[in-house]
Amino acid sequence: MARVVLENICKSFGSVDIMKGISLTVEDGEFCVFVGPSGCGKSTLLRMISGLETVSSGRILIDGEDVTYAEPSRRGIAMVFQSYALYPHLTVRENIGFGLSLARRPKAEIEERVGKIAETLQLSHLLDRKPKALSGGQRQRVAIGRAIIRDPKVFLFDEPLSNLDAALRSQMRVELTDLHAKLKATMIYVTHDQVEAMTMADKIVVLNGGRIEQVGAPMTLYNEPASPFVAGFIGSPKMNLYDGDAAAREGCMVYGIRPEHISLSATDGKWRGTVRHIERLGADLIAHLTVDGLGDLVARCPGDTPMVIGETLFASPVAGKEHKFERGAIG
Amino acid sequence: MNSRRQLFTGLAALAATIVIFVLPFLFIFLTAAKTKQDASLLTFTLPQQWQLWQNFMDVVSARDYMLLLAYFNSTVITVAAVALLVLFGAMVGYVLQRRPSRWNTLIFACVMIGLMVPPAVVPTIWVLQWLDLFKTRTGMVLIQIAYGLAFAVLLFRSFIATIPRDLDEAAIIDGAKPWQIFFRVILPLLKPVTVTVIVVQSIAIFNDFTNPLYYLPGRENVTVQLTLYNFQSQFGTEFNLLFMNILLVTIPPLIVFIFFNRQIVAGMTAGAVKG
Repeated sequence: MARVVLENICKSFGSVDIMKGISLTVEDGEFCVFVGPSGCGKSTLLRMISGLETVSSGRILIDGEDVTYAEPSRRGIAMVFQSYALYPHLTVRENIGFGLSLARRPKAEIEERVGKIAETLQLSHLLDRKPKALSGGQRQRVAIGRAIIRDPKVFLFDEPLSNLDAALRSQMRVELTDLHAKLKATMIYVTHDQVEAMTMADKIVVLNGGRIEQVGAPMTLYNEPASPFVAGFIGSPKMNLYDGDAAAREGCMVYGIRPEHISLSATDGKWRGTVRHIERLGADLIAHLTVDGLGDLVARCPGDTPMVIGETLFASPVAGKEHKFERGAIG
Repeated sequence: MNSRRQLFTGLAALAATIVIFVLPFLFIFLTAAKTKQDASLLTFTLPQQWQLWQNFMDVVSARDYMLLLAYFNSTVITVAAVALLVLFGAMVGYVLQRRPSRWNTLIFACVMIGLMVPPAVVPTIWVLQWLDLFKTRTGMVLIQIAYGLAFAVLLFRSFIATIPRDLDEAAIIDGAKPWQIFFRVILPLLKPVTVTVIVVQSIAIFNDFTNPLYYLPGRENVTVQLTLYNFQSQFGTEFNLLFMNILLVTIPPLIVFIFFNRQIVAGMTAGAVKG
């Protein structure tokens, strides 16, 4: 269990600056999620914490110890890769116990610890199988088992669920959250999926272009986004954002309103628009409107709301739920 | 119409294969079973008198059982050279593929030169003499490694490119040292291409005639291909024994090839798409 501190981390590949001075503290036992669009540097940052990537400048401290230039195996970390990275020629038992066998631990100890972890992860009946004979979810659990057996101070996850189908992904989200509750370990998790970030994190770090946009609890980021970028990135469907004249009319640089914070009426409202497209999701309905003076507007309403394409509707923002940004641009 | 053409081309291909591969082998077998007089006619006929066993015993016992010594020498040279070729080929291929540095271009150029430039015999003998390795099996093993390494490195390098780097990194995180990553993670995954290298190189080295002739003179150093000289001379050649000898030295590589045929193709084509 450990606190991870990043101090002014920079990373350059040649003349290209990838990370531009990242400072961050991940508290002991916290589940911290790095989220951001492709190429924002989140995986690079995780790899620098793991030691697989060198740091151009700055310091990394794990449990108070400066590990900036330490070997990956000496940092007290374990990592789960996007591709699982299981050794194809080894059985599940050998995969999980690989780290201990490298450390020349006694066979009986390896056997006992592998058995215990396999039980925790419900892998006991699969111990003699090779990875190719496992499903995606089982492979992911083996990868997690291989991380747990190292008894690390910090777990690092690099988009571990992105190769799984939607149903399995939501199941694994729950399993990972349970695991975090059970192990009470510090976990750093990289994803580009804001749903994963919102559902699992104690703390979300939104990255953009090698910089931290905002750090905070999921609902803080949802309710009080610091920039139009965070506002657009967190929440699904994404926030309606407007700049130029539309924002100027509201007295700000960028004006934002979430789809779920718009009420629709057939008779009156702030904006008048025409229904262009309807997505019926069952419990919810996502309406895409073309609004005079604003452009496109997306609204979320109850699934049984009567609506037809081409209908004229009036939309109004829910009081107190508008977001007015004095700086920043629509991403 | 189409199926008739397919049948015709299929039969033509089969006939060509028989003419090129099977008939010569049959000719060797039939001649090896003939008497000396019968074989000297070099005709493609059944033996008038079958004496396969007699010829076999004559060839094996010729010149104080020289063939057995030759088998021993050839086997030692082949096994040692192929084992080291696999080890060094995989190591060099791994470093070239996984560790980009400014030296890589130079090393790769050396590998290509090794593949393209024919070796010079006399200077090689000078080097061997200088190292005290001329007329030794160790010298011969090193020569075979030097001649085969470029090809092995190319095969291993392209195959290693298909192994995800995540595996190396997972092993690093697990605490593996570089040599442990190679021996415990990468090398076991190279099985298909290793089989290819083993088969191709062992056949080439076992069948090698010219290199042992140049670099390994001496009666006690004889290799199987050189035993063919036992039955040829200026004034007379015992064709029945010569062909029996050919038959005996052809069979081991043939067995290896038949058993590993499928793996050879798999190893050759693996890594061909991505690399």
